[in-house]
Amino acid sequence: MDVIQTNSLTKTYDGKGGISDVTLSVGEGIVYGFLGPNGSGKSTFVRTLLGLLQPTSGEGYILGEPIGTTKSREQVGYLPELFRYPDWLTGKQLLESHADLCKIPVRQRNKRIEEVIELVGMTGRDNGRISGFSKGMSQRIGLACAILNDPKVIFLDEPTSALDPIGRKDVRDLMVYLRDQGKTVFLNSHLLYEVESVCDHVSIVHQGEMIAQGPWRELMMTEAQVEIVTEGSISAPFPPFITDYQKGKAEEGRTRWVVQLETEKDIPKILHHLSSRHIDVYEVKPINPHLEDVFMHWVNRKKESAYVDNQ
Amino acid sequence: MWTISKLTFKEIVSKRIFMITIVMTLIFLALYGTAIYFAGKEGAEVGDGGQGTEAILLQQFVSSQLLGVGLYFSSFITALLAILSSVSTISGEVSSHQIDTWLMRPISRSQFVLGKFMGLAFLMIAYAVCLFFSIILLHQGIGTDWMALNLQPMQLIKAVSVFAIQPFVLIAFGLLLSTRMTTLNAGIVSIMLYGAAFIGGFIEQFGALVEKTSLVNIGIIMSLVFPIDSMYRKMTILLFDTADNPLSLAQGGMFTSISTPGNVMVWYAVLYGVVAVILAIYSFKNRDV
Ligand SMILES: Nc1ncnc2c1ncn2[C@@H]1O[C@H](COP(=O)(O)OP(=O)(O)OP(=O)(O)O)[C@@H](O)[C@H]1O
Ligand SMILES: [Mg+2]
Repeated sequence: MDVIQTNSLTKTYDGKGGISDVTLSVGEGIVYGFLGPNGSGKSTFVRTLLGLLQPTSGEGYILGEPIGTTKSREQVGYLPELFRYPDWLTGKQLLESHADLCKIPVRQRNKRIEEVIELVGMTGRDNGRISGFSKGMSQRIGLACAILNDPKVIFLDEPTSALDPIGRKDVRDLMVYLRDQGKTVFLNSHLLYEVESVCDHVSIVHQGEMIAQGPWRELMMTEAQVEIVTEGSISAPFPPFITDYQKGKAEEGRTRWVVQLETEKDIPKILHHLSSRHIDVYEVKPINPHLEDVFMHWVNRKKESAYVDNQ
Repeated sequence: MWTISKLTFKEIVSKRIFMITIVMTLIFLALYGTAIYFAGKEGAEVGDGGQGTEAILLQQFVSSQLLGVGLYFSSFITALLAILSSVSTISGEVSSHQIDTWLMRPISRSQFVLGKFMGLAFLMIAYAVCLFFSIILLHQGIGTDWMALNLQPMQLIKAVSVFAIQPFVLIAFGLLLSTRMTTLNAGIVSIMLYGAAFIGGFIEQFGALVEKTSLVNIGIIMSLVFPIDSMYRKMTILLFDTADNPLSLAQGGMFTSISTPGNVMVWYAVLYGVVAVILAIYSFKNRDV
Protein backbone atom coordinates (compact mmCIF):
# COMPACT_ATOMS: atom_id res chain seq x y z
CA MET A 1 0.00 0.00 0.00
CA ASP A 2 1.18 3.48 -0.75
CA VAL A 3 1.90 5.61 2.24
CA ILE A 4 0.91 8.82 0.54
CA GLN A 5 -1.25 8.99 -2.52
CA THR A 6 -2.80 11.94 -4.24
CA ASN A 7 -5.01 12.29 -7.22
CA SER A 8 -4.99 15.64 -9.01
CA LEU A 9 -4.77 17.30 -5.62
CA THR A 10 -5.14 21.05 -5.97
CA LYS A 11 -5.02 23.86 -3.47
CA THR A 12 -5.20 27.43 -4.66
CA TYR A 13 -5.78 30.60 -2.68
CA ASP A 14 -8.78 32.24 -4.31
CA GLY A 15 -7.69 30.83 -7.65
CA LYS A 16 -4.11 32.10 -7.32
CA GLY A 17 -0.84 30.61 -6.09
CA GLY A 18 -0.81 27.33 -4.26
CA ILE A 19 -0.22 24.13 -6.15
CA SER A 20 -2.29 22.39 -8.79
CA ASP A 21 -3.03 18.97 -10.03
CA VAL A 22 -0.50 16.89 -8.15
CA THR A 23 -0.73 13.17 -8.66
CA LEU A 24 1.85 11.14 -6.87
CA SER A 25 2.31 8.06 -4.78
CA VAL A 26 4.97 7.51 -2.19
CA GLY A 27 5.95 4.04 -1.11
CA GLU A 28 7.05 2.74 2.23
CA GLY A 29 10.53 3.10 3.66
CA ILE A 30 11.92 5.81 1.43
CA VAL A 31 12.98 9.40 1.68
CA TYR A 32 10.92 11.33 -0.82
CA GLY A 33 12.21 14.72 -1.86
CA PHE A 34 9.76 17.41 -2.84
CA LEU A 35 11.90 19.97 -4.56
CA GLY A 36 11.11 23.40 -5.83
CA PRO A 37 12.17 27.03 -5.66
CA ASN A 38 10.56 29.53 -3.28
CA GLY A 39 6.87 29.94 -3.77
CA SER A 40 6.44 26.83 -5.87
CA GLY A 41 3.82 25.38 -3.56
CA LYS A 42 5.70 22.81 -1.49
CA SER A 43 4.42 23.95 1.88
CA THR A 44 0.93 24.37 0.50
CA PHE A 45 0.96 20.76 -0.62
CA VAL A 46 2.09 19.38 2.72
CA ARG A 47 -0.30 21.54 4.70
CA THR A 48 -3.13 20.34 2.51
CA LEU A 49 -2.18 16.73 3.13
CA LEU A 50 -2.23 17.38 6.86
CA GLY A 51 -5.71 18.87 6.78
CA LEU A 52 -4.54 22.36 7.71
CA LEU A 53 -5.74 23.62 4.35
CA GLN A 54 -8.92 22.57 2.64
CA PRO A 55 -8.16 21.14 -0.82
CA THR A 56 -9.71 23.03 -3.71
CA SER A 57 -10.16 19.84 -5.68
CA GLY A 58 -8.77 16.37 -6.08
CA GLU A 59 -8.18 13.82 -3.40
CA GLY A 60 -5.43 12.50 -1.21
CA TYR A 61 -4.81 9.61 1.15
CA ILE A 62 -2.34 9.01 3.91
CA LEU A 63 -1.95 5.33 4.81
CA GLY A 64 -5.19 4.71 3.00
CA GLU A 65 -7.22 7.26 4.98
CA PRO A 66 -8.67 10.29 3.20
CA ILE A 67 -6.86 13.48 4.13
CA GLY A 68 -8.62 15.81 6.52
CA THR A 69 -9.86 13.02 8.76
CA THR A 70 -8.42 12.54 12.22
CA LYS A 71 -7.62 8.97 11.31
CA SER A 72 -5.32 10.06 8.50
CA ARG A 73 -3.18 11.89 11.06
CA GLU A 74 -2.79 9.14 13.59
CA GLN A 75 0.59 7.91 12.40
CA VAL A 76 1.99 11.13 11.08
CA GLY A 77 4.69 13.50 12.24
CA TYR A 78 5.25 17.03 10.97
CA LEU A 79 7.86 19.70 11.31
CA PRO A 80 6.43 22.91 9.89
CA GLU A 81 8.44 25.39 7.93
CA LEU A 82 7.51 28.14 10.40
CA PHE A 83 8.07 26.22 13.58
CA ARG A 84 6.55 28.12 16.43
CA TYR A 85 5.82 26.42 19.69
CA PRO A 86 4.12 27.82 22.78
CA ASP A 87 7.04 29.63 24.34
CA TRP A 88 5.75 29.46 27.88
CA LEU A 89 6.25 25.69 27.92
CA THR A 90 9.54 23.97 28.50
CA GLY A 91 10.80 21.64 25.81
CA LYS A 92 9.81 18.67 27.90
CA GLN A 93 6.32 19.99 28.67
CA LEU A 94 5.78 20.55 24.96
CA LEU A 95 6.61 16.93 24.25
CA GLU A 96 4.39 15.81 27.13
CA SER A 97 1.44 17.72 25.74
CA HIS A 98 1.97 16.20 22.34
CA ALA A 99 2.29 12.76 23.89
CA ASP A 100 -1.11 13.45 25.47
CA LEU A 101 -2.63 14.35 22.14
CA CYS A 102 -1.15 11.26 20.50
CA LYS A 103 -2.46 9.13 23.34
CA ILE A 104 0.92 7.64 24.10
CA PRO A 105 0.39 5.45 27.17
CA VAL A 106 1.60 7.17 30.33
CA ARG A 107 4.05 4.43 31.15
CA GLN A 108 5.98 4.69 27.92
CA ARG A 109 5.79 8.45 27.83
CA ASN A 110 8.90 9.47 29.74
CA LYS A 111 11.07 6.87 28.13
CA ARG A 112 9.95 7.87 24.65
CA ILE A 113 10.46 11.56 25.39
CA GLU A 114 13.99 10.92 26.52
CA GLU A 115 14.63 8.85 23.42
CA VAL A 116 13.56 11.53 20.99
CA ILE A 117 15.37 14.26 22.88
CA GLU A 118 18.49 12.21 22.54
CA LEU A 119 17.84 11.59 18.84
CA VAL A 120 17.69 15.30 18.07
CA GLY A 121 20.65 16.13 20.26
CA MET A 122 18.81 18.17 22.87
CA THR A 123 19.77 16.11 25.89
CA GLY A 124 20.14 18.29 28.95
CA ARG A 125 18.62 21.33 27.30
CA ASP A 126 15.01 20.22 27.27
CA ASN A 127 14.11 21.66 30.65
CA GLY A 128 14.47 25.25 29.57
CA ARG A 129 11.53 27.30 28.43
CA ILE A 130 11.04 27.47 24.69
CA SER A 131 11.09 31.26 24.94
CA GLY A 132 14.76 30.93 25.79
CA PHE A 133 15.57 28.60 22.91
CA SER A 134 17.64 29.67 19.94
CA LYS A 135 16.13 29.14 16.51
CA GLY A 136 18.15 25.99 15.95
CA MET A 137 17.10 24.59 19.32
CA SER A 138 13.45 25.27 18.49
CA GLN A 139 13.84 23.44 15.22
CA ARG A 140 15.41 20.51 17.00
CA ILE A 141 12.62 20.34 19.56
CA GLY A 142 10.22 20.55 16.61
CA LEU A 143 11.93 17.53 15.10
CA ALA A 144 11.60 15.70 18.39
CA CYS A 145 7.91 16.53 18.32
CA ALA A 146 7.59 15.24 14.78
CA ILE A 147 8.98 11.80 15.60
CA LEU A 148 7.56 11.55 19.11
CA ASN A 149 4.67 9.23 18.31
CA ASP A 150 6.87 6.89 16.28
CA PRO A 151 4.96 7.84 13.12
CA LYS A 152 4.97 5.82 9.93
CA VAL A 153 5.27 8.93 7.82
CA ILE A 154 7.08 12.12 8.67
CA PHE A 155 6.69 15.41 6.84
CA LEU A 156 9.66 17.71 7.16
CA ASP A 157 9.28 21.16 5.67
CA GLU A 158 12.77 22.56 5.22
CA PRO A 159 14.01 20.90 8.38
CA THR A 160 17.46 22.43 8.35
CA SER A 161 16.62 26.05 7.67
CA ALA A 162 17.85 27.13 11.09
CA LEU A 163 20.60 24.61 11.67
CA ASP A 164 24.37 24.85 11.58
CA PRO A 165 26.37 22.43 9.42
CA ILE A 166 26.57 19.90 12.22
CA GLY A 167 22.84 20.13 12.73
CA ARG A 168 22.31 19.58 9.03
CA LYS A 169 24.34 16.46 9.13
CA ASP A 170 22.41 15.32 12.22
CA VAL A 171 19.16 15.77 10.36
CA ARG A 172 20.48 13.87 7.37
CA ASP A 173 21.54 11.03 9.65
CA LEU A 174 18.16 11.13 11.33
CA MET A 175 16.39 10.80 8.00
CA VAL A 176 18.53 7.83 7.05
CA TYR A 177 17.90 6.30 10.48
CA LEU A 178 14.15 6.72 10.06
CA ARG A 179 14.23 5.22 6.60
CA ASP A 180 16.20 2.26 7.87
CA GLN A 181 13.43 1.71 10.38
CA GLY A 182 10.97 1.45 7.52
CA LYS A 183 9.51 4.93 7.93
CA THR A 184 8.66 7.20 5.06
CA VAL A 185 10.11 10.68 5.11
CA PHE A 186 8.56 13.37 2.94
CA LEU A 187 11.11 16.13 2.64
CA ASN A 188 10.35 19.60 1.33
CA SER A 189 13.39 21.45 0.21
CA HIS A 190 14.89 23.97 -2.14
CA LEU A 191 18.40 22.93 -1.29
CA LEU A 192 19.93 20.46 -3.64
CA TYR A 193 22.63 19.28 -1.29
CA GLU A 194 20.08 18.56 1.38
CA VAL A 195 18.23 16.25 -0.92
CA GLU A 196 20.99 14.64 -2.90
CA SER A 197 22.57 12.40 -0.35
CA VAL A 198 19.40 11.02 1.15
CA CYS A 199 16.52 11.10 -1.27
CA ASP A 200 15.59 7.98 -3.13
CA HIS A 201 12.89 9.57 -5.14
CA VAL A 202 12.11 13.17 -5.95
CA SER A 203 9.53 15.32 -7.56
CA ILE A 204 10.20 18.75 -8.88
CA VAL A 205 7.63 21.44 -8.60
CA HIS A 206 7.73 24.82 -10.22
CA GLN A 207 5.21 27.62 -9.99
CA GLY A 208 2.55 25.43 -8.53
CA GLU A 209 2.98 22.67 -11.05
CA MET A 210 4.62 19.31 -10.77
CA ILE A 211 7.05 19.15 -13.64
CA ALA A 212 8.89 15.91 -13.10
CA GLN A 213 9.18 12.98 -10.77
CA GLY A 214 11.37 9.95 -10.62
CA PRO A 215 14.48 8.46 -9.05
CA TRP A 216 16.93 11.09 -7.93
CA ARG A 217 19.76 10.14 -10.26
CA GLU A 218 17.66 10.21 -13.36
CA LEU A 219 16.26 13.58 -12.68
CA MET A 220 19.50 15.20 -11.73
CA MET A 221 21.66 13.86 -14.51
CA THR A 222 20.04 16.15 -16.96
CA GLU A 223 23.03 18.13 -17.84
CA ALA A 224 25.90 16.02 -16.69
CA GLN A 225 29.18 17.84 -16.40
CA VAL A 226 32.43 16.30 -15.30
CA GLU A 227 35.72 17.71 -14.32
CA ILE A 228 38.63 15.63 -15.57
CA VAL A 229 42.26 16.10 -14.69
CA THR A 230 44.71 14.61 -17.19
CA GLU A 231 48.41 14.54 -17.59
CA GLY A 232 50.40 17.02 -19.58
CA SER A 233 49.29 19.76 -21.83
CA ILE A 234 47.83 17.80 -24.66
CA SER A 235 45.09 19.27 -26.71
CA ALA A 236 41.64 17.82 -27.06
CA PRO A 237 42.10 14.22 -25.92
CA PHE A 238 38.36 13.47 -26.10
CA PRO A 239 36.37 11.23 -28.39
CA PRO A 240 34.66 13.00 -31.26
CA PHE A 241 31.16 12.82 -29.78
CA ILE A 242 32.25 15.26 -27.11
CA THR A 243 31.76 18.63 -28.63
CA ASP A 244 31.51 20.90 -25.65
CA TYR A 245 34.49 21.18 -23.36
CA GLN A 246 36.65 23.81 -21.77
CA LYS A 247 40.28 23.68 -21.01
CA GLY A 248 41.16 24.94 -17.59
CA LYS A 249 44.54 26.02 -16.44
CA ALA A 250 47.51 23.70 -16.41
CA GLU A 251 49.15 23.11 -13.06
CA GLU A 252 52.10 20.98 -12.14
CA GLY A 253 52.06 19.33 -15.51
CA ARG A 254 48.36 18.47 -15.32
CA THR A 255 45.42 19.90 -17.12
CA ARG A 256 41.94 20.43 -15.82
CA TRP A 257 39.02 20.04 -18.21
CA VAL A 258 35.34 20.71 -17.79
CA VAL A 259 33.36 18.49 -20.09
CA GLN A 260 29.72 18.72 -21.02
CA LEU A 261 27.99 15.37 -21.46
CA GLU A 262 24.78 14.23 -22.96
CA THR A 263 24.23 11.56 -20.35
CA GLU A 264 26.00 10.01 -17.44
CA LYS A 265 26.82 6.99 -19.60
CA ASP A 266 29.34 9.03 -21.49
CA ILE A 267 31.72 9.03 -18.53
CA PRO A 268 33.00 5.46 -18.91
CA LYS A 269 33.25 5.97 -22.68
CA ILE A 270 35.53 8.92 -22.20
CA LEU A 271 37.68 7.01 -19.75
CA HIS A 272 38.00 4.12 -22.20
CA HIS A 273 38.95 6.49 -24.90
CA LEU A 274 41.60 8.17 -22.73
CA SER A 275 43.12 4.96 -21.46
CA SER A 276 43.25 3.44 -24.92
CA ARG A 277 45.37 6.42 -25.86
CA HIS A 278 47.53 6.00 -22.78
CA ILE A 279 46.62 9.33 -21.35
CA ASP A 280 46.88 9.32 -17.58
CA VAL A 281 43.81 10.41 -15.67
CA TYR A 282 44.22 11.74 -12.17
CA GLU A 283 40.76 12.82 -11.27
CA VAL A 284 37.17 12.48 -12.52
CA LYS A 285 34.60 14.45 -10.65
CA PRO A 286 30.96 14.94 -11.59
CA ILE A 287 29.94 18.54 -11.25
CA ASN A 288 26.55 18.79 -9.59
CA PRO A 289 24.19 20.86 -11.61
CA HIS A 290 22.70 23.91 -10.01
CA LEU A 291 19.17 23.34 -8.95
CA GLU A 292 18.09 26.25 -11.12
CA ASP A 293 19.60 24.54 -14.15
CA VAL A 294 17.80 21.33 -13.34
CA PHE A 295 14.58 23.24 -12.86
CA MET A 296 15.02 25.06 -16.11
CA HIS A 297 15.78 21.85 -17.90
CA TRP A 298 12.58 20.22 -16.71
CA VAL A 299 10.54 23.35 -17.14
CA ASN A 300 11.67 23.56 -20.75
CA ARG A 301 11.04 19.86 -21.25
CA LYS A 302 7.55 20.32 -19.90
CA LYS A 303 6.89 23.26 -22.18
CA GLU A 304 8.18 21.39 -25.19
CA SER A 305 6.03 18.39 -24.47
CA ALA A 306 3.06 20.64 -23.92
CA TYR A 307 3.84 22.14 -27.30
CA VAL A 308 4.03 18.71 -28.86
CA ASP A 309 0.80 17.74 -27.16
CA ASN A 310 -0.94 20.72 -28.62
CA GLN A 311 0.06 19.96 -32.16
CA MET B 1 -9.99 17.79 23.97
CA TRP B 2 -9.05 17.98 27.64
CA THR B 3 -5.41 18.32 26.71
CA ILE B 4 -6.29 21.47 24.81
CA SER B 5 -8.36 22.73 27.75
CA LYS B 6 -5.55 22.05 30.13
CA LEU B 7 -3.07 23.82 27.88
CA THR B 8 -5.34 26.82 27.46
CA PHE B 9 -5.82 27.03 31.19
CA LYS B 10 -2.13 26.65 31.91
CA GLU B 11 -1.17 29.14 29.25
CA ILE B 12 -3.19 31.92 30.82
CA VAL B 13 -2.11 31.03 34.32
CA SER B 14 1.53 31.01 33.30
CA LYS B 15 1.41 34.47 31.79
CA ARG B 16 2.58 37.45 33.75
CA ILE B 17 -0.64 39.30 33.04
CA PHE B 18 -2.45 36.69 35.08
CA MET B 19 -0.36 37.47 38.15
CA ILE B 20 -0.92 41.18 37.58
CA THR B 21 -4.65 40.61 37.34
CA ILE B 22 -4.72 38.63 40.56
CA VAL B 23 -2.74 41.29 42.39
CA MET B 24 -4.92 44.08 41.03
CA THR B 25 -8.01 42.15 42.03
CA LEU B 26 -6.70 41.78 45.55
CA ILE B 27 -5.94 45.50 45.71
CA PHE B 28 -9.44 46.25 44.48
CA LEU B 29 -10.92 43.96 47.11
CA ALA B 30 -8.82 45.57 49.83
CA LEU B 31 -9.98 49.03 48.78
CA TYR B 32 -13.55 47.90 48.61
CA GLY B 33 -13.28 46.32 52.04
CA THR B 34 -11.86 49.54 53.50
CA ALA B 35 -14.62 51.60 51.95
CA ILE B 36 -17.29 49.26 53.26
CA TYR B 37 -15.75 49.27 56.71
CA PHE B 38 -15.82 53.04 57.07
CA ALA B 39 -19.18 53.41 55.38
CA GLY B 40 -20.59 50.84 57.80
CA LYS B 41 -19.14 52.64 60.82
CA GLU B 42 -20.42 56.04 59.72
CA GLY B 43 -23.79 54.61 58.75
CA ALA B 44 -24.25 52.94 62.10
CA GLU B 45 -23.45 56.18 63.93
CA VAL B 46 -25.76 58.29 61.83
CA GLY B 47 -28.50 55.69 61.87
CA ASP B 48 -28.33 55.14 65.62
CA GLY B 49 -30.88 57.82 66.49
CA GLY B 50 -33.68 56.99 64.06
CA GLN B 51 -35.73 53.84 64.23
CA GLY B 52 -38.44 54.84 61.74
CA THR B 53 -39.08 53.76 58.20
CA GLU B 54 -36.88 56.53 56.95
CA ALA B 55 -33.80 55.19 58.69
CA ILE B 56 -34.45 51.70 57.39
CA LEU B 57 -34.99 53.04 53.91
CA LEU B 58 -31.72 54.93 54.09
CA GLN B 59 -29.88 51.92 55.38
CA GLN B 60 -31.31 49.69 52.68
CA PHE B 61 -30.57 52.20 49.97
CA VAL B 62 -26.98 52.94 50.92
CA SER B 63 -26.16 49.36 51.62
CA SER B 64 -27.55 47.94 48.41
CA GLN B 65 -25.94 50.74 46.43
CA LEU B 66 -22.56 49.89 47.89
CA LEU B 67 -22.98 46.22 47.18
CA GLY B 68 -24.18 47.15 43.71
CA VAL B 69 -21.07 49.24 43.06
CA GLY B 70 -18.82 46.39 44.13
CA LEU B 71 -20.61 43.86 42.00
CA TYR B 72 -20.84 46.18 39.04
CA PHE B 73 -17.15 46.77 39.03
CA SER B 74 -16.52 43.05 39.45
CA SER B 75 -18.73 42.28 36.53
CA PHE B 76 -16.87 44.88 34.51
CA ILE B 77 -13.44 43.40 35.28
CA THR B 78 -14.69 39.90 34.59
CA ALA B 79 -16.17 41.00 31.29
CA LEU B 80 -13.00 42.72 30.22
CA LEU B 81 -10.85 39.74 31.10
CA ALA B 82 -13.26 37.36 29.37
CA ILE B 83 -13.14 39.46 26.22
CA LEU B 84 -9.38 39.90 26.21
CA SER B 85 -8.64 36.26 26.84
CA SER B 86 -11.08 34.88 24.29
CA VAL B 87 -10.58 37.10 21.25
CA SER B 88 -6.94 36.17 20.83
CA THR B 89 -7.24 32.51 21.56
CA ILE B 90 -7.58 31.09 18.06
CA SER B 91 -6.68 33.99 15.82
CA GLY B 92 -3.43 34.53 17.69
CA GLU B 93 -2.34 30.96 17.24
CA VAL B 94 -3.34 30.93 13.61
CA SER B 95 -1.33 34.02 12.79
CA SER B 96 1.74 32.76 14.59
CA HIS B 97 1.30 29.31 13.02
CA GLN B 98 1.51 27.83 16.47
CA ILE B 99 -1.73 26.08 15.79
CA ASP B 100 -0.27 23.94 12.99
CA THR B 101 1.42 21.42 15.20
CA TRP B 102 -1.65 21.02 17.39
CA LEU B 103 -4.10 20.62 14.54
CA MET B 104 -1.97 18.06 12.73
CA ARG B 105 -2.48 15.72 15.65
CA PRO B 106 -5.35 13.26 15.49
CA ILE B 107 -7.87 15.67 17.00
CA SER B 108 -10.75 17.22 15.15
CA ARG B 109 -11.28 20.93 14.72
CA SER B 110 -14.40 20.74 16.89
CA GLN B 111 -12.46 19.15 19.71
CA PHE B 112 -9.91 21.91 19.44
CA VAL B 113 -12.45 24.73 19.62
CA LEU B 114 -14.39 23.04 22.39
CA GLY B 115 -11.22 22.38 24.34
CA LYS B 116 -10.27 26.04 24.07
CA PHE B 117 -13.73 27.07 25.18
CA MET B 118 -13.77 24.75 28.17
CA GLY B 119 -10.37 25.90 29.37
CA LEU B 120 -11.28 29.58 29.12
CA ALA B 121 -14.77 29.22 30.48
CA PHE B 122 -13.64 27.20 33.45
CA LEU B 123 -11.00 29.74 34.35
CA MET B 124 -13.16 32.82 33.89
CA ILE B 125 -16.20 31.40 35.63
CA ALA B 126 -14.04 30.36 38.55
CA TYR B 127 -12.68 33.88 38.66
CA ALA B 128 -16.16 35.41 38.50
CA VAL B 129 -17.49 33.19 41.27
CA CYS B 130 -14.53 33.95 43.53
CA LEU B 131 -14.89 37.65 42.93
CA PHE B 132 -18.63 37.54 43.58
CA PHE B 133 -18.28 35.80 46.90
CA SER B 134 -15.35 37.97 47.94
CA ILE B 135 -17.50 41.04 47.44
CA ILE B 136 -20.45 39.52 49.28
CA LEU B 137 -18.26 38.39 52.15
CA LEU B 138 -16.59 41.76 52.45
CA HIS B 139 -19.88 43.56 52.27
CA GLN B 140 -21.67 41.36 54.76
CA GLY B 141 -18.75 40.78 57.06
CA ILE B 142 -16.74 43.96 57.37
CA GLY B 143 -19.42 46.60 57.18
CA THR B 144 -20.86 45.97 60.67
CA ASP B 145 -24.43 44.84 61.25
CA TRP B 146 -25.72 48.07 59.91
CA MET B 147 -24.39 47.34 56.45
CA ALA B 148 -25.44 43.71 56.21
CA LEU B 149 -28.40 42.95 54.01
CA ASN B 150 -30.61 40.00 54.60
CA LEU B 151 -29.47 37.62 51.87
CA GLN B 152 -30.70 34.05 51.73
CA PRO B 153 -28.33 31.26 50.53
CA MET B 154 -30.75 30.37 47.74
CA GLN B 155 -30.73 33.96 46.58
CA LEU B 156 -26.95 33.97 46.52
CA ILE B 157 -26.75 30.79 44.54
CA LYS B 158 -29.19 32.05 41.96
CA ALA B 159 -27.43 35.38 41.73
CA VAL B 160 -23.97 33.91 41.31
CA SER B 161 -25.22 31.56 38.61
CA VAL B 162 -26.58 34.47 36.66
CA PHE B 163 -23.39 36.40 37.37
CA ALA B 164 -21.39 33.56 35.79
CA ILE B 165 -23.48 33.64 32.63
CA GLN B 166 -21.83 36.87 31.64
CA PRO B 167 -18.28 35.51 31.19
CA PHE B 168 -19.78 32.40 29.61
CA VAL B 169 -21.53 34.44 26.92
CA LEU B 170 -18.57 36.76 26.39
CA ILE B 171 -16.12 33.89 25.98
CA ALA B 172 -18.39 32.04 23.58
CA PHE B 173 -18.85 35.20 21.54
CA GLY B 174 -15.16 36.16 21.64
CA LEU B 175 -14.19 32.68 20.55
CA LEU B 176 -16.63 32.80 17.67
CA LEU B 177 -15.14 36.08 16.44
CA SER B 178 -11.63 34.79 16.92
CA THR B 179 -12.22 31.89 14.54
CA ARG B 180 -12.66 34.37 11.71
CA MET B 181 -11.19 37.72 12.64
CA THR B 182 -7.83 39.00 13.75
CA THR B 183 -7.36 39.49 17.46
CA LEU B 184 -7.58 43.24 17.22
CA ASN B 185 -10.80 43.30 15.21
CA ALA B 186 -12.46 40.69 17.37
CA GLY B 187 -11.48 42.67 20.47
CA ILE B 188 -12.86 45.90 19.08
CA VAL B 189 -16.15 44.31 18.04
CA SER B 190 -16.57 42.63 21.42
CA ILE B 191 -15.85 45.75 23.40
CA MET B 192 -18.13 47.90 21.22
CA LEU B 193 -20.96 45.44 21.69
CA TYR B 194 -20.31 45.33 25.39
CA GLY B 195 -20.50 49.10 25.52
CA ALA B 196 -23.65 49.12 23.41
CA ALA B 197 -25.25 46.58 25.73
CA PHE B 198 -24.39 48.79 28.67
CA ILE B 199 -25.91 51.86 27.05
CA GLY B 200 -28.92 49.80 25.97
CA GLY B 201 -29.40 48.74 29.55
CA PHE B 202 -29.14 52.29 30.73
CA ILE B 203 -31.73 53.47 28.19
CA GLU B 204 -34.04 50.69 29.30
CA GLN B 205 -33.70 51.73 32.94
CA PHE B 206 -34.34 55.31 32.10
CA GLY B 207 -37.30 54.34 29.93
CA ALA B 208 -38.81 52.34 32.78
CA LEU B 209 -38.34 55.27 35.13
CA VAL B 210 -40.07 57.79 32.87
CA GLU B 211 -42.46 55.12 31.60
CA LYS B 212 -41.55 55.36 27.94
CA THR B 213 -42.15 51.99 26.29
CA SER B 214 -40.11 52.82 23.20
CA LEU B 215 -37.01 53.38 25.29
CA VAL B 216 -37.58 50.17 27.17
CA ASN B 217 -37.92 48.36 23.86
CA ILE B 218 -34.62 49.72 22.61
CA GLY B 219 -33.04 48.32 25.73
CA ILE B 220 -34.70 44.97 25.26
CA ILE B 221 -33.58 44.74 21.67
CA MET B 222 -30.06 45.57 22.73
CA SER B 223 -30.11 42.87 25.36
CA LEU B 224 -31.31 40.42 22.74
CA VAL B 225 -28.42 41.36 20.51
CA PHE B 226 -25.93 41.02 23.32
CA PRO B 227 -27.36 39.65 26.56
CA ILE B 228 -24.73 40.96 28.93
CA ASP B 229 -26.05 43.98 30.77
CA SER B 230 -29.41 42.28 31.23
CA MET B 231 -27.65 39.45 33.07
CA TYR B 232 -26.06 41.90 35.43
CA ARG B 233 -29.45 43.45 36.15
CA LYS B 234 -31.11 40.10 36.56
CA MET B 235 -28.45 39.25 39.08
CA THR B 236 -29.09 42.40 41.13
CA ILE B 237 -32.79 41.66 41.12
CA LEU B 238 -32.20 38.14 42.34
CA LEU B 239 -30.00 39.56 45.03
CA PHE B 240 -32.11 42.50 46.12
CA ASP B 241 -35.51 41.34 45.02
CA THR B 242 -35.98 44.81 43.64
CA ALA B 243 -38.80 44.49 41.20
CA ASP B 244 -41.57 43.17 43.38
CA ASN B 245 -40.46 44.72 46.61
CA PRO B 246 -42.28 47.80 47.89
CA LEU B 247 -38.90 49.32 48.51
CA SER B 248 -37.81 48.69 44.98
CA LEU B 249 -37.80 52.24 43.72
CA ALA B 250 -35.92 53.41 46.73
CA GLN B 251 -33.28 50.82 46.13
CA GLY B 252 -33.07 51.46 42.46
CA GLY B 253 -30.15 53.49 41.32
CA MET B 254 -27.34 53.45 38.89
CA PHE B 255 -26.16 50.00 39.88
CA THR B 256 -29.39 48.23 40.58
CA SER B 257 -32.34 47.64 38.41
CA ILE B 258 -35.83 48.94 37.78
CA SER B 259 -36.91 47.32 34.55
CA THR B 260 -36.78 43.60 35.07
CA PRO B 261 -35.36 41.11 32.65
CA GLY B 262 -37.51 37.99 32.98
CA ASN B 263 -36.37 34.43 33.52
CA VAL B 264 -36.75 33.88 29.82
CA MET B 265 -33.90 36.32 29.36
CA VAL B 266 -31.63 34.11 31.45
CA TRP B 267 -32.36 31.09 29.30
CA TYR B 268 -31.96 33.21 26.22
CA ALA B 269 -28.48 34.24 27.36
CA VAL B 270 -27.46 30.65 28.03
CA LEU B 271 -28.79 29.59 24.66
CA TYR B 272 -26.99 32.53 23.08
CA GLY B 273 -23.70 31.28 24.51
CA VAL B 274 -24.30 27.71 23.42
CA VAL B 275 -25.23 28.78 19.90
CA ALA B 276 -22.12 30.96 19.72
CA VAL B 277 -19.95 27.96 20.62
CA ILE B 278 -21.69 25.82 18.02
CA LEU B 279 -21.20 28.53 15.41
CA ALA B 280 -17.55 28.83 16.42
CA ILE B 281 -17.06 25.11 15.87
CA TYR B 282 -18.84 25.29 12.55
CA SER B 283 -16.96 28.36 11.42
CA PHE B 284 -13.60 26.84 12.24
CA LYS B 285 -14.32 23.45 10.78
CA ASN B 286 -13.34 24.07 7.20
CA ARG B 287 -11.18 27.08 7.61
CA ASP B 288 -7.64 27.23 6.22
CA VAL B 289 -5.10 27.96 8.90
N1 LIG C 1 -2.08 32.14 2.69
C1 LIG C 1 -1.84 32.39 1.40
N2 LIG C 1 -2.65 33.23 0.72
C2 LIG C 1 -2.44 33.49 -0.57
N3 LIG C 1 -1.44 32.97 -1.29
C3 LIG C 1 -0.59 32.13 -0.68
C4 LIG C 1 -0.75 31.80 0.70
N4 LIG C 1 0.23 30.94 1.06
C5 LIG C 1 0.97 30.75 -0.06
N5 LIG C 1 0.48 31.45 -1.10
C6 LIG C 1 1.01 31.45 -2.46
O1 LIG C 1 1.08 30.11 -2.90
C7 LIG C 1 2.30 29.87 -3.57
C8 LIG C 1 3.00 28.68 -2.94
O2 LIG C 1 3.40 29.00 -1.64
P1 LIG C 1 4.14 27.96 -0.69
O3 LIG C 1 4.33 28.58 0.61
O4 LIG C 1 3.41 26.68 -0.75
O5 LIG C 1 5.54 27.81 -1.43
P2 LIG C 1 6.84 26.99 -1.00
O6 LIG C 1 7.18 26.13 -2.16
O7 LIG C 1 6.63 26.34 0.29
O8 LIG C 1 7.92 28.14 -0.88
P3 LIG C 1 9.17 28.29 0.11
O9 LIG C 1 10.29 27.55 -0.49
O10 LIG C 1 9.41 29.75 0.09
O11 LIG C 1 8.75 27.78 1.42
C9 LIG C 1 3.08 31.16 -3.53
O12 LIG C 1 2.96 31.77 -4.77
C10 LIG C 1 2.41 32.00 -2.48
O13 LIG C 1 2.42 33.35 -2.88
MG1 LIG D 1 7.57 26.40 2.03
